[in-house]
Amino acid sequence: MNATYLRTEVRRTLRAPRYFVFVIGMPVGLFLLFSSLYGSGDQDGIAAKAWLMVSMSVFGAMGAAVSIGGRIAGERQAGWTRQLRLTPMPGRMYVASKAITALAVAVPALALVYAVGAIVEGVRLPAARWAEAAGWSLLALAPFVALGIWLGHRLTVDVLGPLSGALFTALGILGGVWFPIDQLPSAMQGVAKALPSYWLAQAGREPLAGSWIGWHGVAVLAIWTAVFAVLGARAYRRDTARA
Amino acid sequence: MAESGRTELWSGRRGDDSERMPEITLAAGLSLRGLTKSYGPVRAVAGIDLDIVAGETVALLGPNGAGKSTTIDVLLGLARPDAGAVTVFGRTPEEAVRAGLVGAMLQSGGLISEVTVRELLVLAASLYPAPMPVDEVLERADLTELADRRTTKLSGGQTQRVRFALALVPDPELLVLDEPTAAMDVETRRRFWASMRQLAAAGRTVLFATHYLDEADEYADRIVLMAEGRVVADGPATAIKAVVGGRTIRATLPGVPDGVLAALPGVGAVERHGDAVRLTCTDSDLALRALLAGYPDARDLEVGGADLEDAFVALTSPATGVSA
Repeated sequence: MNATYLRTEVRRTLRAPRYFVFVIGMPVGLFLLFSSLYGSGDQDGIAAKAWLMVSMSVFGAMGAAVSIGGRIAGERQAGWTRQLRLTPMPGRMYVASKAITALAVAVPALALVYAVGAIVEGVRLPAARWAEAAGWSLLALAPFVALGIWLGHRLTVDVLGPLSGALFTALGILGGVWFPIDQLPSAMQGVAKALPSYWLAQAGREPLAGSWIGWHGVAVLAIWTAVFAVLGARAYRRDTARA
Repeated sequence: MAESGRTELWSGRRGDDSERMPEITLAAGLSLRGLTKSYGPVRAVAGIDLDIVAGETVALLGPNGAGKSTTIDVLLGLARPDAGAVTVFGRTPEEAVRAGLVGAMLQSGGLISEVTVRELLVLAASLYPAPMPVDEVLERADLTELADRRTTKLSGGQTQRVRFALALVPDPELLVLDEPTAAMDVETRRRFWASMRQLAAAGRTVLFATHYLDEADEYADRIVLMAEGRVVADGPATAIKAVVGGRTIRATLPGVPDGVLAALPGVGAVERHGDAVRLTCTDSDLALRALLAGYPDARDLEVGGADLEDAFVALTSPATGVSA
């Protein structure tokens, strides 16, 4: 993997206006809003503010992961991926660097919401718990990275823009990222527990109580990752087939 | 450093090639054999044989739809031919690309956003084994002043120059340019070709597609004329220009066989529509004098400049095929 290439990719992503709006601005804004509305008391044995903080941080990270789809689609449309085929870089490196970039730009998104939590909202946690929450959140992003890669190779920018916005919001709500799923009817709770977004959120929250999502959660995340990766690989092959 | 299978010209300029990819023989040039390629029912390339010697500057000249871009795509490994074989410096196109021997400027090919021109070129350079220094690329592509500008803030002609710069980044032995001057203004075009001349003079092989005869004539050693997916003429620029770039004489002249007209001095080819004839001339002055001397009843005389489109049509009909 080429460091210059990766560094430029990360820098480009951080410069995109979309990044500031959806990955940084919206999660921080929503965290402050929800915190003022529902920030007192506990949720799942965790201080509500901490619960909201982690929820909104993974929401931003999810945005970072899924938004690589739009970037891939845009670069395909512009002919950039074709230009890259005239370089010695293998096509899979392009995909791998997009995946790594997605994780890299998720880090500041998580960190910023945590910082707002610690400084503005007074969330206090042992250092190890912050690190575990961030680490698990990044691991649990895998299905969303794969989803972005798949959609980016499958759809055009025009379709992907609105679709990824809708998908992202739906996954957030249905997966209990925004509100605890115990407020939902039980059938909906079943749906939530089959979604990667639920387990992403839980992956960030459980460490706050010194716990983890368990093998069941890991399995759900792994299955979604595998499904999206297979679909992504197929779309990638079709897209780059030398007609 | 005397490597086998390499001409003198190359060993001096890039002594590190042998360590990098010893199997590649630059002297082998490019070879296209029996190439065909269809897209659905459209026969884009209908059988092309072409050899290009290392160091040559060759123009692929032809109207839209002649198969120039498809030929280039196959040569670059971007498209797979239905039949035929392509080698670039003795290797497959993919291998030549991987070795950093090929730089190309495609017709379509946007730039990425959120980077400056310099950042984009540094990124591209990081992908090649022995790239040209970025400052040199900037200079050759006339971009030094625009180095710190974002790619999204460039005009069409400036974008085209960045795309040219991307083709230079690998410090390639072969430069392939598909209608490179399409979005350039006159001044940019002039500077672009001046830069190309320098690159070609250093021994690089250059292949460019164009539909401007003047451009092909002025900058290429050799013109390969394409129409309807075939090579219809191939030769030194001067010879091709004489065939397609000469003047034409139109006249109304009943009762004179085409063969007789074709034998007149200065006449290249004859085309007839009823009583109207059109003589494609290598020397229109000579032809006109001979025509009037021999056939004083010729009427509606008209001498016109080169009509490339017409020349292509004439050349694709089997009777008037040209080999220069």
